[in-house]
Amino acid sequence: MKKKNPLMLLIGTLLLLIFVAMLFCFQVRTTEVAVVTTFGEYSRSITNAGLNFRLPLPIQKVYKFDNRLQNFERKFEQTTTKDAKNLLITVFVGWKVSDPKTYLERFNGDSVRAEQSLENLVRNAKNAVVGSYNFSDLVSPDPSQVKFDAVEGDILRALQGPAHDTYGVSIELVGIKQLGLPESITGKVFERMRAERMRLVQQFNGEGEAKAIEIRSEANRKRDELLAQADADSLRIRGEAEAAASKDYITLEQRPDLAVFLMQIEALKTALKDRATLILDEKVPPLNLLSGEKAPSAPATK
Amino acid sequence: MADPKSTSGNLKLTPSPVTSQDDASSQALTEALGSSVLLVRLLLWGLLVAFVGSCIFQVKPNEVAVVLRFGKPRGTGADMLLKPGLHWALPLPIDEIVRMRVGESKSVRAKNAWYAISPEEEAAGTVPTGNPTLRPGVDGHTLTSDGNILHVRATLKYRIADPMAYTFQFHDVTNTLVNFLNNAIYHASARFTADAALYKDRTAFTDAIRARLSSLVERASLGIALEPLDVEVSAPLYVRDAFDEVIRAEQDRSKKISEAQGFFDETVRKAEGEASAIRSGGLVVSNSLVQAVSAEAKFFLDQLPVYDRNPALFRERKRIEAVTQVLTNAPDKFFLPSRADGQPRELRLQLNREPLSPVTKPKANGQ
Repeated sequence: MKKKNPLMLLIGTLLLLIFVAMLFCFQVRTTEVAVVTTFGEYSRSITNAGLNFRLPLPIQKVYKFDNRLQNFERKFEQTTTKDAKNLLITVFVGWKVSDPKTYLERFNGDSVRAEQSLENLVRNAKNAVVGSYNFSDLVSPDPSQVKFDAVEGDILRALQGPAHDTYGVSIELVGIKQLGLPESITGKVFERMRAERMRLVQQFNGEGEAKAIEIRSEANRKRDELLAQADADSLRIRGEAEAAASKDYITLEQRPDLAVFLMQIEALKTALKDRATLILDEKVPPLNLLSGEKAPSAPATK
Repeated sequence: MADPKSTSGNLKLTPSPVTSQDDASSQALTEALGSSVLLVRLLLWGLLVAFVGSCIFQVKPNEVAVVLRFGKPRGTGADMLLKPGLHWALPLPIDEIVRMRVGESKSVRAKNAWYAISPEEEAAGTVPTGNPTLRPGVDGHTLTSDGNILHVRATLKYRIADPMAYTFQFHDVTNTLVNFLNNAIYHASARFTADAALYKDRTAFTDAIRARLSSLVERASLGIALEPLDVEVSAPLYVRDAFDEVIRAEQDRSKKISEAQGFFDETVRKAEGEASAIRSGGLVVSNSLVQAVSAEAKFFLDQLPVYDRNPALFRERKRIEAVTQVLTNAPDKFFLPSRADGQPRELRLQLNREPLSPVTKPKANGQ
């Protein structure tokens, strides 16, 4: 049973070690930076994650700051462009602690105070930069004229130096997150938009009417053209037929009196073919036979 | 167990020369201590088991994990990320397990440029009535390249592509992403006209937002992969009726034009039919003319020798033959004898204004 004693000893030693470690060591997480002060005086900054040595309280004190990119944004504010147009603009800023010493001295590690100080800096930079661009550099019918990136880049550069030197903060991102017009101007824009829409309505109405009339008259023209062409074709065909028939007509020239007589006979038959009412006197052969009149003598041979 | 000396070094008891009463009491004390020691031993074993157990942890299927040893990621490069399965780590405060849910698709919505709408209205699908002006900070809007105002809102789905950057580089990726998305909306709007963003180039407008967002995300190394982006565009509520009016007018124009086009097609088709009929009519007439003349010529040639033999007889024969045929065909025939004095007889006919059947003109008397 004596073999258990070293276990107890081991556990005791372990507990003691842990206690000592807690007094003399501290961790810096991968998302953090730390500053160590000795009797309130700055000693060193730690920017690499891991286990670090310290003297116990109250000799040394450790301050840790979140080193991830923080978002900072403020309310919609009016600013004026170079060509004296009023704009409402909000920018967002991505920042992180770049110099833990300055950051600690300036804000005592309080990120709320840090953002309050940044607010003025951001506002001044934004107003200065937007004031050096025209309205058409932000909103333009020509996409190559839109200088969003330049405006954002200028604000970023204007912020970077002072933010690092004064606050120990590095500005990593700047972007426009809201852009608008002052309230009174929005009303005027709406009036213009409505007028523009009404103009479009009239334009579309007129266009529809005109185009429809054009198509309909084109349809009539096309129909007339087709029918005229067909009439012409028909006439041409008939002409050709007449020409083809004319050689047969030449045959009739051998004895015109016979030809005319045959045509008359044929015309008579055709004209009185159906539903004719005939009123005849007695002299019409062969009805003259009814009245006992003498039949004409047999015609002599020509 | 009965021997108190066997418990542990810390609780070692040394027997002393005592009386029998002392023996009894020390015996009792020894027994009590013995049972306490048993409890402590059990506790220690329990703690050991718990310690070993706490070193093993599971990474779930839609997760990856990183172990921070003293705050620093354990391993290097790709080895830092622990895939789903069982893994081990020392207990806190030595190791810290950071789990990251990479499998699921997340979603953010940017509505800085959208009109003010309550969640109730949104749920009911109703649109608020527009005000004649837009209140700053309440009614979001965006400016188009032609100086007009539009409302735009975008919903993005995304996945975590680089869990290390996503978790350890940014305090709040969601917030940064919403800012980027809003930025992309203003950036794209400044390059499109209101009509293009609303109707004509809707796809290109969405693509422009996505392209801008993608470049911002890449530049900032947010550690995410973009999934579908849904962009909604609306005309300002106050002038929305005017925009609707334009759409109606445009549809009306299309309707008028397509009706006229229909008329064109029908008219031309009909005219083509008529033209075809005229042509074939002409052809029929021509053919019959040619045939008729040919037949007539043949008949003439056949009759010519007979006629030449006795023209008068031929004429009379043909005439009587024709009269016979005419008289046979005519349903109504009137025979009008001559007056005794040989003068022409007067005949009066009363004809209906609209005769039911065609009536031939009365032939002149005697011929």
